[in-house]
Amino acid sequence: MEQRIIEIMKEVLEEQDIDINSTQETLKNWNSLSHLNLASELEDAFDVELDPADIAEMKSVRDIVRIINGILNNDGSNG
Amino acid sequence: MRYFVFRNQTVEPFLGESDRGYSAYSDISQVPDDAERFIWFYQVPFNPNSRQVADEVATYADKLGLVSSLIGDRELWVFSLVNLFRCPLTGSDTLIDEAVDAFNAEVRKMAREHTNIKLIDFTDFTSRYASDELVNWKFYLMSQTSLSPKLAKDFAAWFARKEEELAGKRKKCLVLDLDNTLWGGILGEDGMTGIQIGDDYPGNAYRYWQQALLELQQTGVILTACSKNNEADVMEVWEKHPFMVLRKEHFSAWRINWNDKATNIAALATELNIGLDSMVFIDDNPKERALVKQALPMVSVPDFPQKPFGLMTFFRQLVNDHFRIYATTDEDRHKTAQYKAQAQRAAARSQFAGFDSYLQSLDIQISVIEADDFHVSRIAQMTQKTNQFNLTTHRLTEQEVRQHVAEGWKIFCMRESDRFGDNGIVGAMFITGSNHIDNLLLSCRVLGQGIEQAFVAFVLNHLYQGGTETVTATYRPSAKNAQTALFYEGLGFEVTAEDAESKQYSMKMTGKLPVKAYYHIKME
Repeated sequence: MEQRIIEIMKEVLEEQDIDINSTQETLKNWNSLSHLNLASELEDAFDVELDPADIAEMKSVRDIVRIINGILNNDGSNG
Repeated sequence: MRYFVFRNQTVEPFLGESDRGYSAYSDISQVPDDAERFIWFYQVPFNPNSRQVADEVATYADKLGLVSSLIGDRELWVFSLVNLFRCPLTGSDTLIDEAVDAFNAEVRKMAREHTNIKLIDFTDFTSRYASDELVNWKFYLMSQTSLSPKLAKDFAAWFARKEEELAGKRKKCLVLDLDNTLWGGILGEDGMTGIQIGDDYPGNAYRYWQQALLELQQTGVILTACSKNNEADVMEVWEKHPFMVLRKEHFSAWRINWNDKATNIAALATELNIGLDSMVFIDDNPKERALVKQALPMVSVPDFPQKPFGLMTFFRQLVNDHFRIYATTDEDRHKTAQYKAQAQRAAARSQFAGFDSYLQSLDIQISVIEADDFHVSRIAQMTQKTNQFNLTTHRLTEQEVRQHVAEGWKIFCMRESDRFGDNGIVGAMFITGSNHIDNLLLSCRVLGQGIEQAFVAFVLNHLYQGGTETVTATYRPSAKNAQTALFYEGLGFEVTAEDAESKQYSMKMTGKLPVKAYYHIKME
């Protein structure tokens, strides 16, 4: 899952140097606009619905992994 | 900056960020000087009060008019307005619809009156989606983008094709199979009276499809046929079948024989003198399609519908993907006759022993014309579409051509005809104020007759008579123009500098350059 998220980020953000430690600060193409495309791609890839609060909270690769794991493990109910 | 976008919402996820500038929301006070082109992409605001929405939409046309008056003759592409989220509270409340219609009518009028304004029909994109797919309220509420970001990829692909459409780029030629492609059934087995085309299903599906292809041919797409059949049988169908829409005269060339189709298509390309990458091959047989895809990867080979009733949807996709252009020129409309003449010339050529006597027999008439308003659009179109004989591949828009003329460039174009027909405007030469040939290009349909040498020599002689002695020129290699690499050398130019990117030339004229007498050439 981690790897898949990183692959999606590489494609959407058009940056190659992305790993589990990457954050909004370390990636120059990760701005408010690409954030939107990223959220939309992640929703499609994992078949989940991200709440606006989740989307706002995604500031690092670790955040994304945690949030998507949370949704998938709670069977979609976003607790 | 290539584009500057006027918008009233977030549209960056769709139009991208590199090489783009964006206005503030609903702002038209900034009109950057360095923008090559402008895009107007407004959305109908979301607001349950339809009167307020209609009033606001009613201000857009004036704003757009103001923008148009500030940008000079730079291009302005205007997206038509689409109400993405309709929610009228009463069935009779048409205020927003009327305001949207009024804006779109005004843009159509502006586009008719100003050649630099072009209308992009946004419904061409939105009509592919259901209302719930178009608008994603979560993303709208988070970031002011009413078109769903989930459509960003589709939008980018659609818009890239639109850009080609607006630049007049498209495929040139359709290669059509016949049996079970243009009509139902197999001519060799079912006979002329047994094949299906007419007023009842499935014959009416093929008839409709042929009518659509005929309309496409009238816009300048060349039709050719490639079929495993006896040529005489097909000729009989083309000439005598009462329900056939496409007839012999609509095809510029054909290969009706038992050779493999890849060989036939390559032969058609040679005969018409067009690139394989400008051809689209249509065949109902997946094996034939696979063979052509594999042997000629440059040719586009779309899948063919399983059932005849799928033909119209297929036709629309074909137009969307390969053939739509913004507007057709007179040149486009005469394509079939011109390419047919090209094929006849190729046949005539084989009858003559010497090349000179062949050229003599063609009765070639050339008129050289200094660029004026009537020819600017064709000249710009040629810079966009010509690949093989294009010395520097400098692509120019209409405005850029006009701008160069205003800067003192001498831009000449050339009309050419011979005993097989009028080829129209087929060449252009761009000479800067300091007698440098910035570019020279010739339509591929007249190549191979020495016309290019005659044209250039004639223009240079014209300059020489006007007192010019030294002329310089540049050649810039591209993936496709290798045949012109030694063109200037052939005319007597000397190479003054050369690197991987370009070659520079110079020639000092001490007299007129020779032009063979069988080119009947004059300045108009």
